[in-house]
Amino acid sequence: MREDARILVIDDDPVVLRFVASMLREKNYHVLVAEDGDQGFRLAVRELPDLIVTDLLMPYRDGFQLVRDLRRHQELAHTPIIILSMDDREENIVRGLEGGADDYVVKPFNARELMARIGKQLDRPRGPS
Amino acid sequence: MYGILIGAIYAIGLVFLLLTFVIVLNKGVREARARRRRRRRLALEPRVLRYAHGDAVSIIEALGGSVSRTDRGVIEEILLSHLERVKGIEGERLRGALDQLHFVDDYLHQLQSGRWWTRARAAERLGLAGAVRATGKLAHALGDESSEVRIRAAQALGLVGGTAAVRPLIQALREQSRWSSIRIADILAGMGPRVVDDLVAHFPGLELHARVSVLDILGRIRAPHVAPWLRAWLEDEEPDVRARACHALGVLGDLEAKDALRRALKDAQWPVRAMAAKALGRLRQIEAIPDLSEALRDREWWVRSNAAEALRQMGPAGIQALTRMLHDRDLFARHQAVLKLEEAGVLDEKVALLSAEDARERAAGESLVQSFIESGQIGRLLELSVGHRDGGVRQRLKRLLQTATPEPGAGG
Repeated sequence: MREDARILVIDDDPVVLRFVASMLREKNYHVLVAEDGDQGFRLAVRELPDLIVTDLLMPYRDGFQLVRDLRRHQELAHTPIIILSMDDREENIVRGLEGGADDYVVKPFNARELMARIGKQLDRPRGPS
Repeated sequence: MYGILIGAIYAIGLVFLLLTFVIVLNKGVREARARRRRRRRLALEPRVLRYAHGDAVSIIEALGGSVSRTDRGVIEEILLSHLERVKGIEGERLRGALDQLHFVDDYLHQLQSGRWWTRARAAERLGLAGAVRATGKLAHALGDESSEVRIRAAQALGLVGGTAAVRPLIQALREQSRWSSIRIADILAGMGPRVVDDLVAHFPGLELHARVSVLDILGRIRAPHVAPWLRAWLEDEEPDVRARACHALGVLGDLEAKDALRRALKDAQWPVRAMAAKALGRLRQIEAIPDLSEALRDREWWVRSNAAEALRQMGPAGIQALTRMLHDRDLFARHQAVLKLEEAGVLDEKVALLSAEDARERAAGESLVQSFIESGQIGRLLELSVGHRDGGVRQRLKRLLQTATPEPGAGG
């Protein structure tokens, strides 16, 4: 697990944002946060994080659109993306994964499971960037 | 007189002025309190979260050794808001913190309040706190005079879990007059595989409506180990029980039930036959195709409809069977086959082949169109002969329809 990694967390729910950020900081990750899809996209383009955790239902740009936009961006096309959403409908999980996300975690979530998934994605060799 | 009038105007003006002052003051105090709470939340939340992520034993120590009265409310708000979003070990630690800080004791006390909304809120929070020691009182709250308290207590029991919590919920399932069976069934199904053994153990003593609900819940939970037990209920004397057992086995995806479900397709009661057809569709067992084709001739519409849908779910072999049924002697079976082939887009797909360059593809298209015409169900074909985007297809379709002689009395 790369503990120096920079992780961008995007969620319009400040409680989730604070929880995930605090959990990641405890593990010494460098955490960036954004409260909507637009802000998240701009931050991702500027900071080029090592991994992105994003919600689906957000103002301005939803998670599906955000994942599509990130995948179209040359330097973010292979950045691991984990969707963290309350939406547990099969069609949306499939849509999220087919749209370019690497993993999907449903809220309420198990924090240690999310950490394990983040670690796994960070350990995975990345495609050409 | 004039003096009295002026005095009255002044008095009214003064009252309004005082009221305005009180409102502004109240708003100011509330905003100041909210600001203070936000500030305290920002200061306390990182400590609470560090406690949740770490392994410190005492939340009080994590908070600096003591908690002031005013901070208690803020800490409660922090704990509850995170508990709504997090589960697992962190969730357990946050729940433990609620108990350590005596919030669970407060909620148990509030459950006795004379105000229904206080009782309802207490029940909800005991559920979030996962307070096992509250099970008895929550079970008691299922008998509360307020329906809001009852349903929140039921939801709380669902979150607390355990055999002691399941029993009163099963009891609630029996009392149709006091409860919405659907909501209780949702709570029990949401509790997952851990309630299966209790549901199975209580099943024989339940009334028919509760047994039917339990079979549905067991199907939704999808615990594979319950499948043999469910199969046994396919032989029950109550048709509703047999029907719901079929449904549950289909939802569960129990392949070993396929022969029993094929037998159930010949049950004397149509609801059982309809559910058996639906379940076989879910299992996608092609051995059942002859039985499902036979069920297309059933005298009950639901059975025919479910059988046709089941065949459609079986993929190419099922579609072939539906196509064969276009020539069946039974008008109802033909009609179902037509409906399903149209719904599945098979007819449109084959019609598009009428202008294909490949002769075999064209023949396949013509063959299905011919079968539809012979079955007398030409409504969609007539639509396509006018509205298809390919002129070649429209022309060939018109020719085929003109040369055709539909069966007397057959409709489109």
